[in-house]
Amino acid sequence: MMRYIRLHKIFIKQDLKKLMEYKVDFLLGAVGFLLEQAAQILCLGIIFAGIPALCYTVDGVVVDSWGFNEVLFIYGFSLIPKGIDHLFFDNLWGLGYWIVDKGDFDKYLTRPINSWFYVLCEKFCVDALGEIIIGIVLIIYSTLSMPAQVADAINWWRVLPVLAVMPFAILIFTSIKTATAAISFWTKRSGHITHMCYMTNEFAKYPTKIYNTFIKTAITFVLPFALTAYYPAIYILRGESVWSLPVTVLVSLALFGISQLIWYRGISSYESAGS
Amino acid sequence: MENKEIMIKVKDLRKEFRKAVKEPGLKGSFKALFNPKYDIVKAVDGISFEVPKGEIIGFIGPNGAGKSTVIKMLTGILTPTSGECCIDGKIPTENRKEYVKEIGVVFGQRTQLWWDLALRETYMVLKEIYEIPEDAYKERMAFLNEVLELDDFITSPVRTLSLGQRMRADIAASLLHNPKVLFLDEPTIGLDVVVKDNIRKAIKKISEESGTTVILTTHDLEDIELLCKRIVMIDKGKKVFDGELSELRRRYGQMRELKFELKNPDDFEKLSYKKDFSFADDDLSIDRTGGTVNVRFNSDVVTVEKMLSYTLSKVHVKDINVKDADIEEIIRRLYLGGGETDETADSHL
Ligand SMILES: Nc1ncnc2c1ncn2[C@@H]1O[C@H](COP(=O)(O)OP(=O)(O)OP(=O)(O)O)[C@@H](O)[C@H]1O
Ligand SMILES: [Mg+2]
Repeated sequence: MMRYIRLHKIFIKQDLKKLMEYKVDFLLGAVGFLLEQAAQILCLGIIFAGIPALCYTVDGVVVDSWGFNEVLFIYGFSLIPKGIDHLFFDNLWGLGYWIVDKGDFDKYLTRPINSWFYVLCEKFCVDALGEIIIGIVLIIYSTLSMPAQVADAINWWRVLPVLAVMPFAILIFTSIKTATAAISFWTKRSGHITHMCYMTNEFAKYPTKIYNTFIKTAITFVLPFALTAYYPAIYILRGESVWSLPVTVLVSLALFGISQLIWYRGISSYESAGS
Repeated sequence: MENKEIMIKVKDLRKEFRKAVKEPGLKGSFKALFNPKYDIVKAVDGISFEVPKGEIIGFIGPNGAGKSTVIKMLTGILTPTSGECCIDGKIPTENRKEYVKEIGVVFGQRTQLWWDLALRETYMVLKEIYEIPEDAYKERMAFLNEVLELDDFITSPVRTLSLGQRMRADIAASLLHNPKVLFLDEPTIGLDVVVKDNIRKAIKKISEESGTTVILTTHDLEDIELLCKRIVMIDKGKKVFDGELSELRRRYGQMRELKFELKNPDDFEKLSYKKDFSFADDDLSIDRTGGTVNVRFNSDVVTVEKMLSYTLSKVHVKDINVKDADIEEIIRRLYLGGGETDETADSHL
């Protein structure tokens, strides 16, 4: 394990060095990402300018509602586990899009280290720092501008268990990427499948309660992005959904197991490429 | 029978690829989507051989013969469809991590090094990966530096290396951990004569000094002549020859080359070897540039003596000589004729 961390460190150093070399490239990437996020947040702002709060109603009775600041908080929180996974384990995207297709996966199989770790540790995606920073800024901003009764509900001690579970939330992203990237061992390319799964992540940035049972179940247990965003965020805000913390651990471990199984099955079906 | 320790044992190895066949056009795409059809490509079709420890063995064969596929199975990259391969008592795809510690792999066509890493750092990473102790690493580096002359570009990132430099770098990388077996898939592809020569010398030296067993594939027969005592020829996934180079010469070496210069170039019309001796297409080929004529023929069909006297009786020549066809010619004929499997060819073992 230490060996993998040392290896990862070497590559991180390398990618940072490269960053210095290609500053313009990085800046353009960062600006693009900022614009994208700004557009989404603006949308949220516009929607909330017309309504006081996002409400969940049953038979016309308001059961639950979330103010703009709370939704912003959830949104900001959702960027953090996603960003951390993106920062360290981005190489899996390449696997599904071109590495397997071009036969470049060969080299991961000829070294005496775990092929999955090797793929993971080879790349450090500095762009993701933007995601994490925006997440933190949104969390801070939304907390500072909250109405008093919402802010009073927050108990900052609840951050500790959430932080403890954070690695498992990250593991959810990594496992989903692993499983979908590994499909390329059979199909050559599977990046679009990973991409599709990531689209459902958009649902998870909003209160899960507003969705029907199908979507709710899907984003809680199947592609459990809600466990990385809404649930932990609302737990910090209101102390709701404590159950989601142990569930996150269990679900992420199960997903991880499945993804590893697919990975190793996939490797024995890997066909390399001609030449 | 030589009584040497066997390093590599391959038995009836097969690999099939499924290739989706698609009819052209949009309609074809739709058909392929709903009712995909597959062609089975038998890339490796029942190959068996053994390699004793310390030997350098060369794989040759035309494009698409299945050489790289065999190497990929031996190195654990591809899982065989059926059959066995066993290297130093280990099966590549079982416990891959342990297995690859003992082998080195170089693919001439693509580097396995990290594009942006300086070469020196690359080797540091490999040291980490293979858990090579400091002293062993230093000693090994010094040795590789000497035979492959890495010093000139050791601080450059891999992406800036020339093809020849990169190949040397890749070979050094594959040898850092002192593997028992080295697999080289086209290690001299695209290199100039000097670099080729360097690399051959290095491979030879490494094999001699470390007792490394080497399997290499190549299209350059000079590689074979300078490095390998033994060759395995593959065609269409099957082994068509396995033995020493001299054996190949002896068996297929009936080709002779008759070369002469005509006093009067127009005399060429008078010569009709094909008709007068009824040669088959395979057994005769004629090149002519001006007055210089080059006739390659099978001396089993017509003796050298008959060819000579026929030629001299028909035309006046300035100069004439006969020589053995070179190995290249033999192989060309084998590739063209190819196909039939040669089970009796295991004369070496
Ligand atoms: N990943 C793959 N998928 C499908 N078919 C493949 C694949 N790799 C190789 N083949 C097919 O298998 C056959 C053998 O290919 P291989 O690369 O082993 O040949 P080779 O002897 O190395 O040829 P060359 O001298 O051109 O390198 C070819 O017909 C090739 O098209
Ligand atoms: Mg090849």
